[in-house]
Amino acid sequence: MDANFCVSLRLPYKKYPASHGYGFYYVAVLPVSIALPLANSPRSKRFEAIIDSGATRCQFQAAIGKAMGFDIESGEAEETLGINGVNRIYMHDISLYLPGGVVATRAAFSYELPVPGLLGMEGFFEHFQVIFDPVARQVGLDRIHQS
Amino acid sequence: MDMPNQDKRLQLLRSAPMDSWIALSEDESRIVAVGATYEEVVKNSESAGFADPLLLKIPKVWMPISV
Repeated sequence: MDANFCVSLRLPYKKYPASHGYGFYYVAVLPVSIALPLANSPRSKRFEAIIDSGATRCQFQAAIGKAMGFDIESGEAEETLGINGVNRIYMHDISLYLPGGVVATRAAFSYELPVPGLLGMEGFFEHFQVIFDPVARQVGLDRIHQS
Repeated sequence: MDMPNQDKRLQLLRSAPMDSWIALSEDESRIVAVGATYEEVVKNSESAGFADPLLLKIPKVWMPISV
């Protein structure tokens, strides 16, 4: 995944439980991994991140960042307004491993994030043409390589 | 992943301990490790012989996510 190459993927939406006993909803997800932005830094295990066009930037569970060597609380702290209220996030430069090659970006870490990761506008959508297909229940990803 | 496998995966998520991390096998057909933390599920999946699992965080309660 290190080399830059053309990538075109069609990924089926995944079902997530809507409650403990019954019901579900569909989510567009992508397995990714992250690392410190230093050469040869070890990558996290792959984790499932939600493709979220409403997110300004990529955001990850602080526990993953901490395990990969980020000093989470040393990052620039910000407060963000989400649907669930105000959340504290910590900004860090990261390497984000995506289909088609690694991306250097600035991303947020949060202890409150209820999922492992969110893939937002900055760091993800700027690198892909993304088509949400609610009929086929899949997301299409075509990597954009800017020279 | 076809629909029967999607439904199987949905059942796996329902069966996982709440407020935990889980590791799925590469084909996402089974849970190969569970942990209370990210580091614990990584350790447990490696101990179980799975070098490339897919990690998910199971919330305290299942409900539609809005972030």
